[in-house]
Amino acid sequence: MMTLCVIAAGIGLAWLALILGALLYKGSAGLSLDVFTQMTPPPGDAGGLLNAIYGSVVMTVIAVIVGTPIGVLAGTYMAEYGRFSKLTTVVRFINDILLSAPSIIIGLFVYELMVRPMGHFSALAGAVALAILVIPVVVRTTEDMLNLVPNALREAGTAIGAPRWVVIKSVAYRAALSGIVTGILLSIARISGETAPLLFTALNNQFWSSNLNAPMASLPVTIFQFALSPYEEWQQLAWTGALIITLTVLALSIVARSLTGRREDK
Amino acid sequence: MSQMLSPDMTIAAEAAAKAKIEVKNLNFYYGQSKALKDITLSLPERSVTAFIGPSGCGKSTLLRVFNRIYELYPKQTAEGQVLLDGKNVLDRSQDLNLLRTKIGMVFQKPTPFPMSIYENIAFGVRLYEKISKSEMDGRVEQALKRAALWNEVKDKLNASGLSLSGGQQQRLCIARTVAVKPEVILLDEPASALDPLSTAKIEELIDELQADYTIVIVTHNMQQAARVSKQTAFMYLGELVEFDRTEKIFTSPREKRTQDYITGRFG
Repeated sequence: MMTLCVIAAGIGLAWLALILGALLYKGSAGLSLDVFTQMTPPPGDAGGLLNAIYGSVVMTVIAVIVGTPIGVLAGTYMAEYGRFSKLTTVVRFINDILLSAPSIIIGLFVYELMVRPMGHFSALAGAVALAILVIPVVVRTTEDMLNLVPNALREAGTAIGAPRWVVIKSVAYRAALSGIVTGILLSIARISGETAPLLFTALNNQFWSSNLNAPMASLPVTIFQFALSPYEEWQQLAWTGALIITLTVLALSIVARSLTGRREDK
Repeated sequence: MSQMLSPDMTIAAEAAAKAKIEVKNLNFYYGQSKALKDITLSLPERSVTAFIGPSGCGKSTLLRVFNRIYELYPKQTAEGQVLLDGKNVLDRSQDLNLLRTKIGMVFQKPTPFPMSIYENIAFGVRLYEKISKSEMDGRVEQALKRAALWNEVKDKLNASGLSLSGGQQQRLCIARTVAVKPEVILLDEPASALDPLSTAKIEELIDELQADYTIVIVTHNMQQAARVSKQTAFMYLGELVEFDRTEKIFTSPREKRTQDYITGRFG
């Protein structure tokens, strides 16, 4: 039994090691300063990923700015004000569905909601699609983390005469802070690799664009396009882009881990 | 002086002392089940009253009605009257947050807020008073001295409240409660999670605090009730079985059930 488990674990880890190894090997070959300073090139030319990196950062930031407050507040409702209400059970159920919804569906939804009425693809639509992916992750972790705050602490805050909102803001949030921040970081990790929702919303852009109302490049879509192309320079850039995303997600996970770890130490 | 009076006259004298909290025909429900049955008693001002009884007898429930903390949870309802200085705290018009600044509470497990020692105390004060930094420093010091904690923490006021030992945390919670200048302090088994030395310190503290505050303590520990309180209420299955001066309860109780409990025949 144990042997089987060990073999199974080994097989799982081997694939992961192979993927990471290939990524590191092929990706690092193209890693240079140009990647971060040059625009995506036309076929056959040398270039970088600056506009794609910029687009990814812009859309991710907007998505987090839009999605986080909604997610945190909804999670707060579920864990605090609505802890015993039926609505919370319903919201939790729907949120769990949203959490595992294929992201391409979210992309199509935003396409119908924004892209079609506006008549063109836009970075804004891309950011909204990503925000919709952020919300369920943040809702879930916020609710879970607030539920871990002992009731005794809420009672203590209440017993000293603090109104409910002060107890939540100054006591519960403070006790759950690292967990909530971890949830936000994990949501960033999740959206930074999403391709499907961006294909339907922000599309892509070969050039530098900071116009939120126009199509914008992003790393995942650029990787998708370049990796499928027959041009060698493009394929190399796709590998490098994939490595950049992977390293970013890894860094975020490490930060998230160390934050949760610190909480457990207390 | 009191030794010259007959016991009955002493009780009469105590009854004449101003009642801080009067409970009249109080019933309490957890959903459908009745947890307190028609409780009536009167707690004298600036004195320690202990609630004793076996687990589930309703002593903590009764305490939690006084500051209406039970309202944090659904399906818990109280009927009857709890008069604080003659005003019914169960009245819908009662401002709950204001009520809770007048009636402080310390819990079984120490519950320091996740902030510094200083902030733990300043937090409650800041809620209802706008005072300068130096005044706040004074208030924090005064509260910590009151809770006999000042000497141990004066050099690390910015350290986390969670870094203190259990006994120190509990005294921090008492300091925090005292800092908002309440009139009544409710103690819900304040020493049951502490070691004997810390317990002794808390009991000493209770003894000192009764000069200024009306104190109600729920305890599992009968010796503790005997040591710290002037009046003791014995509760059983949601009923108030007997309420009298502490010596009377522990030496010559009226009721057989009280006798059985204090002699350890059940509970």
